[in-house]
Amino acid sequence: MKNNIRVERAIKNITQGELAEAVGVSRQTINTIESNKYVPSTVLALKISRVFNKPLEAVFMLEEED
Amino acid sequence: MKTRFLFPYWCRYLGLACILFHIPILLFAKSFGFDPHDLPDEPGIFSPRHLFFIATTLLMLIGLVLLVFAKEKIEDEQISQLRLDSLQWAIYLNYLLLIITLVFADHQDFKDILRLNLWVPLVFFYIRFRWVIFRLNRAVREDAKLS
Repeated sequence: MKNNIRVERAIKNITQGELAEAVGVSRQTINTIESNKYVPSTVLALKISRVFNKPLEAVFMLEEED
Repeated sequence: MKTRFLFPYWCRYLGLACILFHIPILLFAKSFGFDPHDLPDEPGIFSPRHLFFIATTLLMLIGLVLLVFAKEKIEDEQISQLRLDSLQWAIYLNYLLLIITLVFADHQDFKDILRLNLWVPLVFFYIRFRWVIFRLNRAVREDAKLS
């Protein structure tokens, strides 16, 4: 699964730490999600896309091998 | 995400204190040439030998459990995942060690095997868990340097 959290963060001009605080996880978790090392749960994915006011699939998208 | 069955964050320090506290008791015993096995082996739970056992082994074990199963400051879903992974590694290693020791030990050594089993899973779990968190933190720091 890919995501464009980094891009969305840049648009909204918030840091990893601020996003982490907004969804109630640690900064490391946001960092690993951004670098595609960790796949968030559905609840966390929904929370993140709500921060950006975007539908889920605008932030997270499936890859070929998924 | 709610993680059940974990101790509060401050238990980490209580656990550490328990572990550190049991060392002087052991050293005290060693430096005075005091061997707990020389104590009279009376039946009952308040015999000197059993009290010494409680003061050392159990104190260390309780401290270890408190330390290992204390919550992180921010206990999120990734941490839960890491706990699960690390626990699996620890169980694998423990059973590997158990099998090896069972093969190469005769029945005289069973007490030592038990003693090894007391702390190996917990200590290995904790080392692996901390190591992964350390690596995650390092990745965050390197990322911050780049941007």
